[in-house]
Amino acid sequence: MDLIKVALPAFLTGAENTIIYCVSSFALALLFGLILALMNSSRFVWLKTPARIFIEAIRSTPIITQLFLLYYGVGAVLVNFNLAYLDNAWAAGIATLSLNYAAYEAEVYRAGFLSVEHGQTEAAHSLGLTQGQTFFRIVLPQAIPLMIPPFVNDFIYMLKDSAIVSVISGTEITSQLNFWLSRHYSNSLPLFALTIVLYLILSVPISYFARRYESRLRAAL
Amino acid sequence: MSDVYRQPYQQAVITAEPRPHNWLVILDYIFYIALALAAVGFLYYIYIFRDYALLYAPFLLQAAGTTIMISLVSMVLATIFGFIGALGRLSRFTLLRSIATVYVEVVRGTPILVQLLLWGFGVATLLSNAGFDPYSIAFQVLTVFQENSLVSPQFTFLFYGMIGLSFNYGAYLTEVFRTGIESINKGQTEAALSLGLDSSQTMRRIVLPQALRITIPPFTNYFITLIQDSALLSVLGVIELEQTIGSFAYPQTNSNVKLFVFVFGALFYFLICYPLSLVARYLEARMARAY
Repeated sequence: MDLIKVALPAFLTGAENTIIYCVSSFALALLFGLILALMNSSRFVWLKTPARIFIEAIRSTPIITQLFLLYYGVGAVLVNFNLAYLDNAWAAGIATLSLNYAAYEAEVYRAGFLSVEHGQTEAAHSLGLTQGQTFFRIVLPQAIPLMIPPFVNDFIYMLKDSAIVSVISGTEITSQLNFWLSRHYSNSLPLFALTIVLYLILSVPISYFARRYESRLRAAL
Repeated sequence: MSDVYRQPYQQAVITAEPRPHNWLVILDYIFYIALALAAVGFLYYIYIFRDYALLYAPFLLQAAGTTIMISLVSMVLATIFGFIGALGRLSRFTLLRSIATVYVEVVRGTPILVQLLLWGFGVATLLSNAGFDPYSIAFQVLTVFQENSLVSPQFTFLFYGMIGLSFNYGAYLTEVFRTGIESINKGQTEAALSLGLDSSQTMRRIVLPQALRITIPPFTNYFITLIQDSALLSVLGVIELEQTIGSFAYPQTNSNVKLFVFVFGALFYFLICYPLSLVARYLEARMARAY
């Protein structure tokens, strides 16, 4: 119990950093994901294929491999280009998380767009709306409510996956766990309990509200 | 809206040709050439560093074998955990049901990395204080067969890593199995019971064969993510693919070679996971069709 009291401030800072990692990475992932989804649904091969290759490559390799590749591999090369200031855990962590999740969000966007009936697009076209207008005024507003539950799910996954940043000492919850574990190796269970409780505090309310939203959405449809 | 501003003949043109030929299509042909160049460029990239590739490939292949073995064993154990969990969640007894629910919620609410650290450093220490040491047990067992040199020094971490992986994926598979079993229409169970089958026969002969169909696509998807998450065992010091990649890459002084080793290692994961994801997609399409 004493150990928890001593370690709590550090772990709370860690939780704050976890939230910063996740919110910034998820915003970027949503943006990249939308771009990827639009490229992927394009009729031009020169837009479609790069997006497909990116998505498949990201989804077929572990996130920890991508993190090491970016942090140690690309980071070492960046130094050659006088970009050494980009070679830190924050940049590598956010880049990895956002690029990795962009590939998954792209699939969510795609499923969301497909869920809007094709007849609506045809109707909009026949009413004389351009393709851009059809997308932003007809398809997107209807698809967004359907995409929110999978997005929230992915955000919870990201909260958990952000723990991987600890392997490059990224100052979030699990990094604090590693730091304190090295000092209190024989008395480790309170530290694990604290970590698990912190992650549950972060993820359980979100998943509770997501479930409520989902059931209300089901009722509305 | 914009229809108001269009002349009738313009509208006729739009209906006659809804998707006019776009000049941007010409970029497709340029793109094919660029794609071919990029593929050649990637092969050339490997060719430049061929000495390193040829030097490390046998070790990486061996490590990939270890990764596959770890994943297979963990998946089998996870299936067992998941099956027990699903039975618990569907149980009539509140106690069993709540234990299973807590298991699923806690495991799914915490990062797998933290769980692996808990198994490898928390539980392992506790159990070794209580006298349970997987390494010495494996050593003694294989001594009987005079093969104890096969036991790697990291066996303890390998053991707890696989337990941690399968415990984590067991929670996800619990939900997969539960939704699979619940998706079978209640009328089928009732019909089977009224035909005189007892409840275990109903489960074994009626519900499970149908539920299996539904669970196969998510099951394969989880297997792919399990292979990827087995890379986290490198944090415990288990010598699998990720650990091997790192051990070759970190000592490199030339940063270009360093990057190449990471890219080359990632290629191995891609070659394992991508064909599997194609299989998963095929199964998903297959199962979406009716019998």
